[in-house]
Amino acid sequence: MTARRACLCLALLLGAGGAARADDGITFVSQGGSYQAAQTQAILDPVARQLGISIDQDSAPDAWAEIRTQTATGKAFWDVVDMPAKDCARGGVRGMIAPLDYAAIPNARDLPDAYKTPWSVAYEFYSSVLAYNTDKYGDAPPRSWADFWDVKKFPGTRALRDNPLATIEAALLADGVPPDRLYPIDLDRAFRKLEQIKPYITVWWTSGAQAAQLLADGEVDMEMAWSNRVSAVQREGAPVGFTWNQGLLQYTSLCILKVSPHIATATRFVDAAIGRQVQADLTRYTDNGPGNPRAYDIGAIPPARLRDLPNTLDNARRQALVSTEWWSSPAGDEAMRRWLTFVRH
Amino acid sequence: MRAASPARIAAFLFAGLVLLWLILPVLIVIPMSFSDSRFLTFPPKALSLRWYHAYLGSSLWLRATRVSLGVAAASAVLATAIGTAAAYALNLSNGRAMKLVKLVLLLPLMVPIVITGVGIFLVYARVGLLATLTGLVLANTMLGVPYALTSVLGALAQFDPAQEMVARSLGMNRPRAFFAVTLPQIAPGVLSGALFAFVAGLDETVVALFISGGRYQPLTKRMFTALRDEIDPTIAAISTMLTLVSCLVAAAVMLNARWSERRRGVRA
Amino acid sequence: MAASRKPPLRAEALLAASLLTPALLLVAVLLLVPLLWLVWQSVRQDGGFTLAHYARLVTDPAYGATFLQTFRISAIVTLACVVLGFPVAWAAAESGPTLRALILALVVLPLWTSVLVRAYAWIIVLQRTGLVNSGLEALGLIHRPVILVNNEFGTIVATTHILMPFVVLPLYTTIRTIPREVLAAAASLGGTPAFVFTRVYLPLSLPGLLSGAALVCVLSLGFYITPELLGGGRTYTVSMLIARNIALYDEWGAASSVSVALLACIFLIFFLAGRIVPIDRIVGTR
Repeated sequence: MTARRACLCLALLLGAGGAARADDGITFVSQGGSYQAAQTQAILDPVARQLGISIDQDSAPDAWAEIRTQTATGKAFWDVVDMPAKDCARGGVRGMIAPLDYAAIPNARDLPDAYKTPWSVAYEFYSSVLAYNTDKYGDAPPRSWADFWDVKKFPGTRALRDNPLATIEAALLADGVPPDRLYPIDLDRAFRKLEQIKPYITVWWTSGAQAAQLLADGEVDMEMAWSNRVSAVQREGAPVGFTWNQGLLQYTSLCILKVSPHIATATRFVDAAIGRQVQADLTRYTDNGPGNPRAYDIGAIPPARLRDLPNTLDNARRQALVSTEWWSSPAGDEAMRRWLTFVRH
Repeated sequence: MRAASPARIAAFLFAGLVLLWLILPVLIVIPMSFSDSRFLTFPPKALSLRWYHAYLGSSLWLRATRVSLGVAAASAVLATAIGTAAAYALNLSNGRAMKLVKLVLLLPLMVPIVITGVGIFLVYARVGLLATLTGLVLANTMLGVPYALTSVLGALAQFDPAQEMVARSLGMNRPRAFFAVTLPQIAPGVLSGALFAFVAGLDETVVALFISGGRYQPLTKRMFTALRDEIDPTIAAISTMLTLVSCLVAAAVMLNARWSERRRGVRA
Repeated sequence: MAASRKPPLRAEALLAASLLTPALLLVAVLLLVPLLWLVWQSVRQDGGFTLAHYARLVTDPAYGATFLQTFRISAIVTLACVVLGFPVAWAAAESGPTLRALILALVVLPLWTSVLVRAYAWIIVLQRTGLVNSGLEALGLIHRPVILVNNEFGTIVATTHILMPFVVLPLYTTIRTIPREVLAAAASLGGTPAFVFTRVYLPLSLPGLLSGAALVCVLSLGFYITPELLGGGRTYTVSMLIARNIALYDEWGAASSVSVALLACIFLIFFLAGRIVPIDRIVGTR
């Protein structure tokens, strides 16, 4: 008798696995941490109310691998993903990402063509900047990637991201390549330069928050990190600073899984999520810049905030824009392959 | 018995230091969870319940906790039933074939967990069990069987099979003889096998990284991602609670062991 | 009547088989079949037979370096577990019942603590501003922080911590079975303590030592979480290589040949150790 009851309980428990989600809902995936918390307040919750849908959240630092799995099995538990534009484009070419129905996304007209692909629209801007410990360097912090490479003048522990994206560009800038001549990238030259700094890299970080953590806890003295993550720990009182100079400006995009069963709702979500107002509101919670540049025009962002946002005209002028086109080309894949050997060897 | 020679004292001291090192993590994590700062400064400058609130206020963490507890409990029950049956069968004969079968059943403990994870991922990708509760429960059952198996085998080794024979000669059929005579006597072994399988299921991370997703992510997968991404003392708060649960289970195992010793004492 | 009490062997075998079926089915479907598939996959490319995936293990220096680092970590961890674990097992065997219970509880307690929790704790203890560094600085032993985590050292500390109970427990069980009279006899025959230890104590505790060491060696070869969280991206173990090849680069061929190579090493170690101590006893400690 008890055995039968136990079986029944088990069956109920397992059966819950098959329970379907309410039809008018989507699962949105971003990269976690304070960055995702900011989106929840500024964009996800308001949009859910506005459209009358429910938005489940998930987070993954390597969304790419998960999307491939869901595509291969034909079973989607994600709908909309926030990830680097190059991954959206790569996924689009390989049939993992659905083409966007721009007729249903009127807000996309606010975006310049450079911020759009057939599969994705720009969502928010961030920058890979040179950040450092202010206790360590005081009035004379490193100001360029050349300084980062100069281990004699700037002793101290260093960290870079375990990913070629933006890291390779930084190496070329350190080697004296002018910001407007970065592409197409000379991979041999970049890896030669990276070999020079490799012995001095204490940590190869894998996620934005980890980078902030390393700096805030004093584990490294200077590193490449994402500007919004650095300013977030700065506000928590950590002795850290960064420079916009030679920052590598990038944006993530929104795209929809091809196997998603909720493409219509997902498209409505994408449209609402790049609206001017919610995009401007995002800057109230995080130092990411709006992916919709018209968000700057509606007077919703206080002038005092502009200093901290990566893609204002003033700040963008000092940085280089990372090329989505180059990174989603075969040369970008080649860079990924060479990176694996480089960092492990 | 022997005089306390200097070498002996030194060896004891050394052992004491090693033991201190062994429990150091537990001693660190508990105070950390009451820190009021986001950073990993130890000892914390001021105390607060901020991170417990963060945990209890997060639907993601709470859902993950429910998934973990449910999966660990369900797979412990299944693994114990399957493992006990297998142990009983293995105990019937001592042939070469049985030795081989036993080795095969112990394989989950020998194969590196990443390879196991990749393998289960392959199977699940074909049959659509990725990111399901059923998938998690099955995988953890497989991983839990060896714990139940070894534990029950240990108990069976101390059990005199003649007793079951007697029961059967008195007219009980085999299942009845097993449940009425054998099971009560090997119960401590079965129980500790179940507890081991439960804790192993609660702690399992790597396979979950490969096969879980969406709504059904166990606590450990969330913690791993958090440790890689956003290290804050929420992890310490969760850790403290997890350690507490584990200690309770450990206490249960020890009480269970004492209970079985006493029973054996009565029999002798 | 005797026949009904002792059922024919066939029935007995049938019963055993049916009781074993669920367990065997589970292990076969979720473990054996995928392993065979990995072996198959490791010699396939574009629909044909190839040894290219294995050749890469030798020709690509990155793969060799990863295997080398994994084996080095495993060797150091095994040695550390034995050196640190022996005195603890000895102390437990030599103590009175209360102290012994305390020692064993302290050995077992970490086993009940999540691996993730312990990784987190070691980050706190070992980081540049952590307990060890600030302690050493306060004592004046060092002037600038030593890098203890986000590297191989941190990985080794945490791995040793996780695996040490697997040496202590079998060792303790073996030491307890050494008859005290043997030691007393050796001593009374004029053996110095060092002589008694190396010639009598050590050989008699060898089975437990070997069983624990083999288990630790094999388990550490397969470690994934600890190097991933504490290695700082510079400590690459074979397990990480397998996971990356699949998750990031979609290289099933490379991942499967690496898996097969690692499995071969592990089964070899089990086979060698199994000639002295039965394998189920080695694994049973876990």
